[in-house]
Amino acid sequence: MAATSFFGRYEFFIWRLHSLTGLFPIGAYLVVHLAVNASVLSGPSTYQKNVYQIHSLESLLPIVEWLFVFLPILFHAILGVIIIRTSRPNPYRYRYASNFRYTLQRATGIIAFAFIVWHVFQMHGWFHFRPWVEHVVEPLHGAQFKPYNAASTLGVALHSPLMLTLYAIGVLSCVYHFVNGLWTMGITWGIWTSAQGQRRATRLCAILGVGLALLTGGVLYGVATVDTDAAKKIEDQMYKSRVESKDIRPNPEKVAQ
Amino acid sequence: MDAASKPDNPPRADVTLRILRQDGPGQASYWETHRVPYEREMNVVSALQKVAAQAKTVEGQNVAPVAWDCNCLEEVCGACTMLVNGRVRQACSALVDRLLEDRPDCIELAPMQKFPVVRDLVVDRSRLFRTLQKLNAWLPVDGYYDMGRGPLVSREEQEKAYPLSTCMACGCCVDACPQYNLIDEPRQDGESEEEYLARRNAQFDENFIGAFGINQVVLFNTHPTGRHTGKLRLEALLAPGGIQHCGNAQNCVRVCPKEIPLTTSIGQAGRAATIHSLQRWFDR
Amino acid sequence: MANKRVMIIGGGLAGLSAAMRLAEMGVAVDLMSLTPVRRSHSVCAQGGINSCSDLTRQAGDSEWKHFDDTVYGGDFLQHQPPVKEMAYWGPKIIDLMDRLGVPFNRTQEGYLDRRRFGGTMYPRTAFSGATTGQQLLYALDEQVRRWETEGRVKKYEFWDFLGPILDDQGVCRGCVGQDLVSMEIRAFPADAVVIASGGCGLVFGKSTMSMVCTGSAVSRAFQAGVKYGNPEFIQVHPTAIPGADKLRLMSESARGEGGRVWVPRRPQDHREPRTIPESERFYFLEERYPAYGNLVPRDIATREIFDVCVNEGLSVEADRQCVYLDLTHIAADELTRKLGGILHIYEKFQGVDPRFTPMKIFPAVHYSMGGLWTDYERTDEGGLRHGSPRNQVTNIPRLYAIGECDYQYHGANRLGANSLLSCIFSGLFVAPGIQTLLSNEPGPAASELPATLFAAAQRKHQQAFDGFLGRGKGDGNPYLLHQELGEVMTKVATVVRRNDQLREALATVDQLHERAQRCSLSDTGRWTNQNLVFARALLDMFPIAKSILNGALQRDECRGAHYKPEFEPKHLTAQDPAEHRRQAEQWCDDFEAQNRKWLKSTIATWNHDRQQPELTYEEIDASLIPPRPRLYGLAGAEEIEQVWKERTTSSTK
Ligand SMILES: Cc1cc2nc3c(=O)[nH]c(=O)nc-3n(C[C@H](O)[C@H](O)[C@H](O)COP(=O)(O)OP(=O)(O)OC[C@H]3O[C@@H](n4cnc5c(N)ncnc54)[C@H](O)[C@@H]3O)c2cc1C
Ligand code: HEM
Ligand code: HEM
Ligand code: SF4
Ligand code: F3S
Ligand code: FES
Repeated sequence: MAATSFFGRYEFFIWRLHSLTGLFPIGAYLVVHLAVNASVLSGPSTYQKNVYQIHSLESLLPIVEWLFVFLPILFHAILGVIIIRTSRPNPYRYRYASNFRYTLQRATGIIAFAFIVWHVFQMHGWFHFRPWVEHVVEPLHGAQFKPYNAASTLGVALHSPLMLTLYAIGVLSCVYHFVNGLWTMGITWGIWTSAQGQRRATRLCAILGVGLALLTGGVLYGVATVDTDAAKKIEDQMYKSRVESKDIRPNPEKVAQ
Repeated sequence: MDAASKPDNPPRADVTLRILRQDGPGQASYWETHRVPYEREMNVVSALQKVAAQAKTVEGQNVAPVAWDCNCLEEVCGACTMLVNGRVRQACSALVDRLLEDRPDCIELAPMQKFPVVRDLVVDRSRLFRTLQKLNAWLPVDGYYDMGRGPLVSREEQEKAYPLSTCMACGCCVDACPQYNLIDEPRQDGESEEEYLARRNAQFDENFIGAFGINQVVLFNTHPTGRHTGKLRLEALLAPGGIQHCGNAQNCVRVCPKEIPLTTSIGQAGRAATIHSLQRWFDR
Repeated sequence: MANKRVMIIGGGLAGLSAAMRLAEMGVAVDLMSLTPVRRSHSVCAQGGINSCSDLTRQAGDSEWKHFDDTVYGGDFLQHQPPVKEMAYWGPKIIDLMDRLGVPFNRTQEGYLDRRRFGGTMYPRTAFSGATTGQQLLYALDEQVRRWETEGRVKKYEFWDFLGPILDDQGVCRGCVGQDLVSMEIRAFPADAVVIASGGCGLVFGKSTMSMVCTGSAVSRAFQAGVKYGNPEFIQVHPTAIPGADKLRLMSESARGEGGRVWVPRRPQDHREPRTIPESERFYFLEERYPAYGNLVPRDIATREIFDVCVNEGLSVEADRQCVYLDLTHIAADELTRKLGGILHIYEKFQGVDPRFTPMKIFPAVHYSMGGLWTDYERTDEGGLRHGSPRNQVTNIPRLYAIGECDYQYHGANRLGANSLLSCIFSGLFVAPGIQTLLSNEPGPAASELPATLFAAAQRKHQQAFDGFLGRGKGDGNPYLLHQELGEVMTKVATVVRRNDQLREALATVDQLHERAQRCSLSDTGRWTNQNLVFARALLDMFPIAKSILNGALQRDECRGAHYKPEFEPKHLTAQDPAEHRRQAEQWCDDFEAQNRKWLKSTIATWNHDRQQPELTYEEIDASLIPPRPRLYGLAGAEEIEQVWKERTTSSTK
C-alpha cells in the first residue's frame, strides 16, 4: 500500500478501527442478537414482545440498523477481505494450534460474510424500499421475516434441515470468529502480553465460545420446534390488541399475509 | 548413554538430500537429489559441505556445487537459515540423526520463502537490515568518548532485555509468518544502483516489519537510554507496514531458534502503540 | 578532508568500532565484508571482555596488573606499550559498551557483574550471558547502522577483498573487491585501508572459528608486501566439543563459573561419570596448579589435557580423545542464568544436558596471536600517542590492520576475554590516527588520483579471475585439498611441535600448494560462484600455513602456545635441597639465555618468486615489565620463583 495514499497514511488507525468494530458494535450485536433470538425458547409471545421492543424505534430503526450494524459490518468485512487477500496462510507447513486458529479466523470471516449477506437478505431484505422489496427481494424469497409475526415467520423460514444446517455453520462460524477475534484483540491492544497470560485468555475465550455455541444450539432448537400455526395465532392476537391500544400503528409490511 | 559415546557402527551408510535449486534470480527452480556418506554427529551444513565437494547427483551427473550460506556453525550468526524438511530453521543445528528419525528416506532442503533467491539456497535478506534502519534500532548515545558508565540496570531488567537482544536477524520468524510476504524487486535496466536501492527500500518500508522488528522496538524502548527516542520507534511501529499487520498467527515464536518471547513483545508493542496513537491524537 | 574516504575490510568488533568512531569524527567510511557484518565471526565469542573495575581495584587490582597479567600470559612476546595502553583503556571501553546498550549481566544493585577468567587472580571479565561477543557486536552494528542511515558509512556486504592498490611509491591508495553475488570486480579508491578481517582458523581445517575465517584478506595483504608477525603462535583452546564440521567452543567461562576438569583415574572407566566417586577422579589441573587450578592460562590447560589423554592414556573414551568438564555440582538455575547460551549449544549439538551430565571436551585451534605486523608511536610514559597515524599502520603506508588479524597484543598466548578488548580497543584507537593522517597530509584524495591506477588494478584482478574460470579442467578437489591441509597443520602445528614433523609437513604443504594451484573447479559460472571463492581462499591459506610452519620450525624454544618438548626447560628433579637449588639456578640461567636468543617477534615477508616466506626477527620493547619465568605457581617449581626473585631484587639494588 503506497504510504502516500489515504489508506497508506491511516493504515494503523484503520486496522485498529477494524479490530474495534469486531468487538463493538459487531460482536456486541451478535451476542445481543443471539440472546434475543434465544427468547424464542420461552414461547412465541415472549419472543414477539422482544421484537416489538426493538421495532418500537419505528422510523429510527433503519438509521440505527445502518449506522450501528450494517455499516460497521460492511467496513469490517470489506477490510477483512482486503487483509485476507494480503496474507498467505500456511497451516500445513507449520502445524501449530495458533496457526490453525489464525487460518480458521480467515476462513470463518469469509463464511460469516457470506452468511450475513444472505441471512439479512433472507430475513430482512437489506432495504425497506418498496420497489426493491417487490421486484428483487420477494421474487428471490427474501425478507421472509415479518416482525409482527416474529416466531412463526422465523419458523417457516428455517423449516428445513438444510436451512438449519446452513444456519448452524454460519452462526458457529460467526461465534468462532468472534471469540477468537477477542483473543487476538487482547494481544493487538496489549491486554494479555505474557505467554502465560495469553494461555489464560485462550481458556477464557474458549469458555465464552462454548457458551455462545450452546446459545446458538438453543436458538436453532427453539426455532426448529416452533409450532408455526399456533404461534401465528398468538402473534395476530397481540398485533390486534396493540393496534387497538394504539401502541403501534398498523403496518402491513411487518405482518405476514 | 549419551550421543557422544554412542558406538561407532554408523546406523547407515549414506544420507540422501533433495535440494530445491535455482540458478539465479527469476529462473525456474528444480529439485535435485544428492547422496553423501553418513558420518557421526553430522548436521545439514556438514552434509552440504560434502555435496559441494562431490558436486555430483545421485544419477551420476556432474553439476555445479549447491550454493548456500553459513558462517558460525553454532546457531548464533543466522546465516545458514533455510527450509529443512519444509520448516524454516538453521541448517547448522539441524542434526542429521534427528531429521532421519522423523523422516528416514531423505532430507529436503529449500531456500527461504519470503526472500528473493540469489542462487540455490542463498537468499537476499537485505530487507531485514533495512527494517532495522527504519526502526531506529540503536541507542541515541551522544558519542563514543569516555563519559563514565551507562545507566544502572536492575538484574530483572537485564534478564528481560537479554533474550530479546539475542535476535540474530536470521529471518525464521518472518519466513514462517503468514502476514509477511515476499518482495522481489529486481533492478531495472538503466537504473543506477542508488536509484534502485531507493526504490527497493521504499518498497520495503511500506511492508510488514515482522516479529523480529517489533521485538527490536520493545528491546530499545525498554532501555533507559533507548527510551529517549522511543517515540521515533513507536512512529515507525505505527507507520505503514507496522505492527498492525500482525495477525497473531504466532508461528514466529514457535520457529525462533533463540526462543525469544516474540508474542509477548508483540503484545507489549501493541499496547505501547495504542497508547502512543491515542496520545498523538489528543496531544496534538 | 571532504572527499577522502576510508575503506575498512571486515565488520567484526574491530572493523565496526573503527567504522563507528571514524564516522563520528566525520570521516566517510566504506565497509567491506564477506558476510553481513551482523553475522561476523565475533558473534561466536562467548565468555566476556576484560578490564579492571572498581570492584577488583579494591581487591588490589589495577590497570597495571591487567597489563602485567596480559604480558605474563603472553610470555613477554609483545611490545609492551600497546598492551599497556589497551589495559588502561579497558574500563573506559566497557563503560562505552555499557552505554551502547550491551545487556551485561548485573549485580543485585545494578552494576556490571564480573567473572574470573584464566591467567588472572581477579574477576575482571564482564559478560552478557554466554554470548558476550554477539551482544558487543550487535551494539556496534547498531551504531554503524545509525551512521549508515545518515549516509556516513556505506556497506559492501558479500564482497571479497582481493588486495590493496599500491601506487608507484608503494603507498596504499585503495583496494580491489569482488561482489560475491554478481562476481563484479571493482577498484575502490581509499585514502586509508584498514584490514580487520579476523583470524585464520580454517588453515587448520576444523577449528572453533567461523567458516569465513580463512585468513584470505590477511594473506592477500601479506602477499602484497605487508609483514606478518609471530605466525607460529596459534592458540589451541583447551575446551571444545569435538564435531564433524567444526570444533565448537566450550567457553572458558564454564571454568570461570566453577567448572572442573577431570578424568577417571582408571583409564576408560565405563561408569556413568556422576557415579564415579571423588577419590577415583583425577582433577589434574587442580592438583598440578593449586593456585590457579582450572583457570590456568589456555596454553597450559591445553597441554595438560593433551598430556593426560595422549601420554597418560586417561582419555574418557577409547576411540577418541576427551576429558570431562564438569558443572554438575553447580545449581541448575544458576547455570542457566550465567551460562545458558553455551550450555544450550552443547545440548543442541550433543543432545546431552550439561547441567546434569559432565561434558566431554578436547582442545581445538582457536585463535591466532600472530598477524599482520603493525606499528605504534610510543609516549615517554610507555603508552601510545593518541591520534598518531603510526598506530596500527602496517609497513605499507596508509594500510592499517586491527583486531585479531594484527599481531600486536597477545604475544605468545592470549588470555581469555582479552581479545574482545583488543579488537574494540584497536578499532577505536586507530580512528583518530587515521583522521590525523587524512587532515594533515597534503596531496589529492585517492579519488582524485589518475583513474589509470585503479583501472590497472581492477584489470589485474579481473584477468586473474577470468583466468581461474577459464583454465579448463584441472585435477584435485579444493574441498578435499583443504581437508588434507587441515589434517597436516593440526597434526604438526598445534599443541606439540617437533622439528622433524615440521620439516616433513613443510614439504607436504608445498606439494599441496602446487596441487591446489592446479585444482579443478566444478562451477565455472559468473554468478554467486562459491566454488571459485573457496578455491581462491584455499590458495591464499598456503602463504599463512607456510609461515606458521616455518616460524614454528625456526623457533627452538618453548614459549606460550609454542611448545617443543625437545627444548623444554628441565624440571627440578633433585630431592637433595642443595642440588634442587642448583637445578633452579640452572633453570634461571637457561631462561635468561633463552630470552636473549628468542625474546623476539618472528617477522615473515612473502617472497613471491620462491612462493615461500622469509623470516627475520624483531627486538621487543619490554621496557616496562621485565620478563620473568612463567610458571603460574606450578607445584614443585617454587624454588625457581625463589631464585628468580633473589636475582631480580639483587640486580635492582
Ligand atoms: C568460539 C570463540 C569464542 C571466543 N570467545 C572469546 C571471548 O569470550 N572473549 C574474547 O575476548 N575473545 C573471544 N574469542 C576471540 C574473539 O572472538 C575474536 O578474536 C574476535 O571476535 C575477532 O574480531 P575481529 O573483529 O578481529 O574479526 P571477526 O569478527 O572475525 O570479523 C572479521 C570480518 O572480516 C571480514 N572478512 C574476512 N575476510 C574477508 C575478505 N577476504 N574480504 C572481505 N571481508 C573479509 C568478515 O566478513 C568479518 O566481517 C573467541 C573466539 C572464538 C572462535
Ligand atoms: C459476525 C461478525 C463478525 C464479528 C463479530 C467479528 C469480530 C472480529 C473481531 C473481534 C476481530 C478481532 C480483531 C483483532 O484481532 O484485533 C476480528 C478480526 C477479523 N475479522 Fe471479523 N468479525 C466479524 C465478521 C467478519 C467478516 C464478515 C469478515 C470478513 C470476511 C471478518 C474478517 C476479519 C479478519 C480478517 C480479522 C482479523 C484481523 C487481523 O487479525 O488483523 N470478520 N473480527
Ligand atoms: C440462529 C441464529 C439467528 C437467528 C435465528 C437470526 C434471526 C434474525 C432475524 C429474525 C432477523 C430479522 C430481524 C429484523 O428484521 O427485525 C435477523 C436480522 C439480522 N441478523 Fe440474525 N439471526 C441469527 C444469527 C445471526 C448472526 C450470527 C448474525 C451475525 C452477526 C446475524 C446478523 C443479523 C443482522 C445483521 C440482521 C439485520 C439487522 C437487524 O434486522 O437487526 N444474525 N436475524
Ligand atoms: S526473532 Fe528469532 S526468528 Fe526472528 S530473526 Fe530474530 S532470532 Fe530469527
Ligand atoms: S507469525 Fe506473524 S502474524 Fe504475528 S504473531 Fe507472529 S508476526
Ligand atoms: S552458520 Fe551461523 S547460524 Fe548456522
